Amino acid sequence: MTQQIETGTVMTIESDDEFRARIRQWFADNRPAKRPRDPAERKSWVRAYHARMYDARMTGPSWPLEYGGMGLSFAQQVIYQEELAKARVPSPLGTGLGIVAPTIITYGTDEQKQRWLGPMLRQDLIWCQGYSEPGAGSDLPALRTTARREDDFYVVNGQKVWTTHATDADVFFTLVRTGTQESRQKGITYLIIDAHAPGVTVRPLKDITGGEHFAEVFFDDVRVPIADRIGEENQGWPLVRTSLGHERAAGAMNQATNYRRILDELIALARERGLTTDPLTRDRLADFEIRVRLMKYNASRIINDIIAHGEPGPASSVSRLFITMFEQELHEFAVEMLGADGIVTRDSERAIQRGRWLTGFLGSRASTIGAGTSEIQRNTIAEQVLGLPRDPAMPAR
Amino acid sequence: MITGWTDDHEELRAVVRRFLSEKSSTEKARELAIAGAVGDQAVWRQMAEQMDLQGLVIPEEFGGAGMGAVELGVVLEEMGRALYVGPYFSTVALAVQTLTAVGDRAAQARWLPRIAAGELTATVAIADDAPSFDLTAVTATATASRDGWSVSGAKAFVIDGMTADLILVAARTDGDLGLFALAGDAAGLHREAVPTVDETRALARVELDAVPAVRVGDDATQTLARAGDLAAAALAAEQIGGAAAALDMAVDYAKMRVQFERPIGSFQAIKHRCADLKVQIESGRSAAFFAAALLDDGDPEAAIAASTAQAWCSAAYTKASKENIQFHGGIGYTWECDAHLYLRRATVSDIVLGAPRAHRARIAELVEM
Repeated sequence: MTQQIETGTVMTIESDDEFRARIRQWFADNRPAKRPRDPAERKSWVRAYHARMYDARMTGPSWPLEYGGMGLSFAQQVIYQEELAKARVPSPLGTGLGIVAPTIITYGTDEQKQRWLGPMLRQDLIWCQGYSEPGAGSDLPALRTTARREDDFYVVNGQKVWTTHATDADVFFTLVRTGTQESRQKGITYLIIDAHAPGVTVRPLKDITGGEHFAEVFFDDVRVPIADRIGEENQGWPLVRTSLGHERAAGAMNQATNYRRILDELIALARERGLTTDPLTRDRLADFEIRVRLMKYNASRIINDIIAHGEPGPASSVSRLFITMFEQELHEFAVEMLGADGIVTRDSERAIQRGRWLTGFLGSRASTIGAGTSEIQRNTIAEQVLGLPRDPAMPAR
Repeated sequence: MITGWTDDHEELRAVVRRFLSEKSSTEKARELAIAGAVGDQAVWRQMAEQMDLQGLVIPEEFGGAGMGAVELGVVLEEMGRALYVGPYFSTVALAVQTLTAVGDRAAQARWLPRIAAGELTATVAIADDAPSFDLTAVTATATASRDGWSVSGAKAFVIDGMTADLILVAARTDGDLGLFALAGDAAGLHREAVPTVDETRALARVELDAVPAVRVGDDATQTLARAGDLAAAALAAEQIGGAAAALDMAVDYAKMRVQFERPIGSFQAIKHRCADLKVQIESGRSAAFFAAALLDDGDPEAAIAASTAQAWCSAAYTKASKENIQFHGGIGYTWECDAHLYLRRATVSDIVLGAPRAHRARIAELVEM
């Protein structure tokens, strides 16, 4: 597959192989520097690297060219994601770029696109998702944070929680209630809120790993310009479902490549410690070997379906659950395999590889909770893929 | 390499599905199994004459359609769904693919056109005490004399061994490992049915006392490994078809069966298990597809992919067939319900070409763990 690239007046055709070579070469010429240990230094290191990528037009694979993206074909996105994983590029700060960006591209005004999209990719502005609330996680339409109209502003009051990397945030994209509580999803508005505005308080929450990766966010009479609303008032709910489905499909290949590397590291560790001769350990490692290969096969099948039919097909709806279960079980097994060395933290001199497997074990508890619990994922597969009836106790969608 | 099914594959799938639903439904499988029959002659002839299914993976020069493992996987997935009873797996997935893998042109010219025409059935027996392609488990011996080769020993689990016109067996010679062709009714060959839990797939014990044989190919150590991988990929496709049918059956029942004034499929206890099965089955379909596609491509990863598919799809089928019985409640435990037919097929399929553990052990070897 080839793509035409317009460069001034010269038109060139680049094959997929040439494209891969070009991407790989760029990462080889621009290797990320060693990851700083200090958290603050690490953040500026991540931002600087993404700014460099943006300036070289190496970010936003699926984004249109006019908003600073790469405008790649789907096949090229897959290649890009594979090379990105191999180059071990640090993930951008903030969360939900794949959700908020397409929402702004689809529903935003020209002014909003100009103001937010480029800086988002370049990491000049760090974005975080403010959907969940203490009483509204999987049941998002139960959210209670209110926004009241006052002249050209909304006055926002309420609380968000599980806001990942909120302490880094410059901007939150949130859902707020502009209708009555009973209106559920019919009274929700999509607002972009300045994290530095008066009345915003961010309180970090210490998580299961001991780290502070997410936070509670409090809004106390926060004034948000109406111009920062995406879409119409009370019409925010349908916007929640906008995401780059195809980018996520290409991202499945990135994850497959990533877990291939992690499993190889675990196998190498097992071998070093003489554990691969133990039949039980060997059997479990072989099972993970099977699953990491299936992850790649599933991703390839999804990609094939998109290229052939324009739709990701049945493999895509199951691949997320497949990956989250793999991620958890792999880390559980790693800790089990390491025995006493697996339970000590990075502060112990016995810690293996700075305690990464233990951190992964604790951290991967989130993989079946965040962004919709596995239970919700299973309901979705059961209802939308298998056509099983809805639970009558649940409110209508 | 192709990375997914094409429109042509979907068309083949639809045609085979329609044919089987008309000619070889699960009711038919039940009737044949109870009668102890190993297939329906009329259906077998139609498969060859109207559908060209026996010739699917036979090269065109020998009267076949010249397709590959991916297409065979499509057909076998449908046969697995329908619990097709007949010597298709043994004749095509085992014997034809072994003959093409071993690559002896004289042998191919002699038997493949007759198989393609539906006139000849065949099977393969490698390991002595198991129906696997484990070459280390071959102790039968072959001896050369002035009149040709003769083979002695026993093969304990030969798929369709009672009825196959041609049996390909592995045997040790003085120097190496060979593949030998025997006529099903040859002198010195004694066969006896082996009753197993799966009455829809006939297994037999074959005893060989200096049975006259034709040698196929030379040292078969390398070629039989590929034949084993082709068989493993083919069985994986058949298994995933069975697993998918069991899940469909469970889902249909869960939509219809009302308890506590609501369909049981609206309870999360049922939903979540159906969703987990779907995850396992769709991943298994990817596994079976890629094993076949990589084999067709001669990709070095193919052997690992074949064992990956075999280990994963065996487990998926066993799980799906058990869950199907559970969701059907008391009905699922009865003889009249088809659910047990799938469990039976799954239980034998689980080990018929090597148990999942054996395939995981092979993967560990192949990736040099």
